[in-house]
Amino acid sequence: MDYFANSLLAALRLIGSLDADIYQIVFTSVLISLAASAIAAIIAVPAGVMMALHQFRGKQFTQHLLNTLMAMPTVVIGLLLYGLFSRLGPLGEWGLLYTPTAIIIAEAILIFPIMMNLTITAVNGADPRLVPTLRSLGARTIQMAFQVIRTTRLAILAAIIAGFGRAIGEVGAAMMLGGNIAGYTRTMTTAIALETSKGEFELGLALGLLLLIIAFVLNFLLSALNKASS
Amino acid sequence: MSAYQLNDIEVRYGQTKALDISSLELATNQSTALLGENGAGKSTLMHLLAFIQKPNAGQIHLQGEAVKDTLSSQQRQKIGFVSQQPYLLTGSIRDNLKLALKLQHIPRHLHQPFIDEALTIVNLTDLSDQDAATLSGGELKRAAIARAIVYQPDILLLDEPFSHLDQRHIHQLEKTIQLFAQKSGKTVVFSTHDRLQAMAIADNSVNLVSGRVTSAPLLNLYHGHCHQQQFNTGQIVVHVAENKPEARHIAIDPREIIISDQPLEHTSMLNRFQGRLIQIAEETGHIRLLVDCGERFHAIITPTSLNKLALQLGDTVWLSFKASAVSVF
Repeated sequence: MDYFANSLLAALRLIGSLDADIYQIVFTSVLISLAASAIAAIIAVPAGVMMALHQFRGKQFTQHLLNTLMAMPTVVIGLLLYGLFSRLGPLGEWGLLYTPTAIIIAEAILIFPIMMNLTITAVNGADPRLVPTLRSLGARTIQMAFQVIRTTRLAILAAIIAGFGRAIGEVGAAMMLGGNIAGYTRTMTTAIALETSKGEFELGLALGLLLLIIAFVLNFLLSALNKASS
Repeated sequence: MSAYQLNDIEVRYGQTKALDISSLELATNQSTALLGENGAGKSTLMHLLAFIQKPNAGQIHLQGEAVKDTLSSQQRQKIGFVSQQPYLLTGSIRDNLKLALKLQHIPRHLHQPFIDEALTIVNLTDLSDQDAATLSGGELKRAAIARAIVYQPDILLLDEPFSHLDQRHIHQLEKTIQLFAQKSGKTVVFSTHDRLQAMAIADNSVNLVSGRVTSAPLLNLYHGHCHQQQFNTGQIVVHVAENKPEARHIAIDPREIIISDQPLEHTSMLNRFQGRLIQIAEETGHIRLLVDCGERFHAIITPTSLNKLALQLGDTVWLSFKASAVSVF
């Protein structure tokens, strides 16, 4: 018990001392997750809105596919992209392996189905009179999508935050594609895994606490948004 | 040229036919009331006229032009639609009106005068900057009407505009409708289940029964089955002039019903029912009686007849009408 309590105290001291290494890792993590969330959101939100607004053949199948992808293990995404980005892979020439870009791509793919699914749920949860009203006022496809996004913006923002939360807590793909290079691709989760295995429990714990704080803030934001949108 | 011409329209919800209209024309420059009971298909027809729902079969002509899959921007601009429970988007009433003008591609310099005019018509100028979420039921309905007329459409469609409104707001809304309909080239179509209100403000009416248009009056409307020139409502059997085994409804014009305090003798009228008088009401120079004979019948008599018969509530009376006075459909 002493070991844990002492480590916790040391971790808190590390956080309080504003250790440059720790905050460099936090910064990298946040930056990669923000970039992945932005890329995923740009595609997933419009795609989700369009899918919710339109009836087409294969819609149900697409929905099942999205649900399946939501549960896809991150190491599988890491594995597939590793195959693509490794020197012998089809995209090996791009030199993406062990770069932040590779992690961003992996995390964007990982959170895309989550964001799209939650966007679909957000639009389906909007007032059923919204779409007929917009249609009767003469809204065309793009205008309709824009107005629907505007009306459901809080729920859609919640979808984006949920995606960000998933990205920042991801470890498998970040490890495989980033390589955990200090000051470059070392994220909070990969650092925790590495430091703990090295026996640097305090550092791992400090990063873990910071990750928990970020998760707490995100969840707080999410519940505030959900409350406001309902 | 008519505002609308509908041909061979069919709308189905699963196995149920919600609308079945072989032909219906709605005239330009007139206000038309769609009359019918709940579930008669009024809202469905309104949605078709507003082109926010497509029929399963049939063709709709808007101002003489056949409408294909979707409306052109010009065609869309001709129609203003207010649904039964209108929905205002987030923001103020003015924001909602502005959005409608933007979506209809109305030139920006016309926005202000158009908004002012619409708000004046519905008497909401003072509340124009109020958040839509804080409006009362009556204000919300008027705001939705303002949004529908702000881009100055030729046709205004109102689905049950009077429901859930108090008497003062009903009166105000009737005036708004009449004000709009008076302008040249404007057509108003509104649905209601109140026949008297329809007669008061509409130039003509379309009666809907179970998704079909009928010329029969909708008072004394009964549902049942027809067999060998007899229509069984489940409560009474009414003699009819035509034999239509497929018919499911009958209606009897209240003016064709003769009221007497004794059974009529030496009459060719096949339909004679004894009942109890349960309501006497005065109505624009006439007296409306409601008689319970198993089914409830409305009858209209003159004040003189009422005096002559010396009728009191609870009295036993006789109703008589010819089989040919019964519309079967």
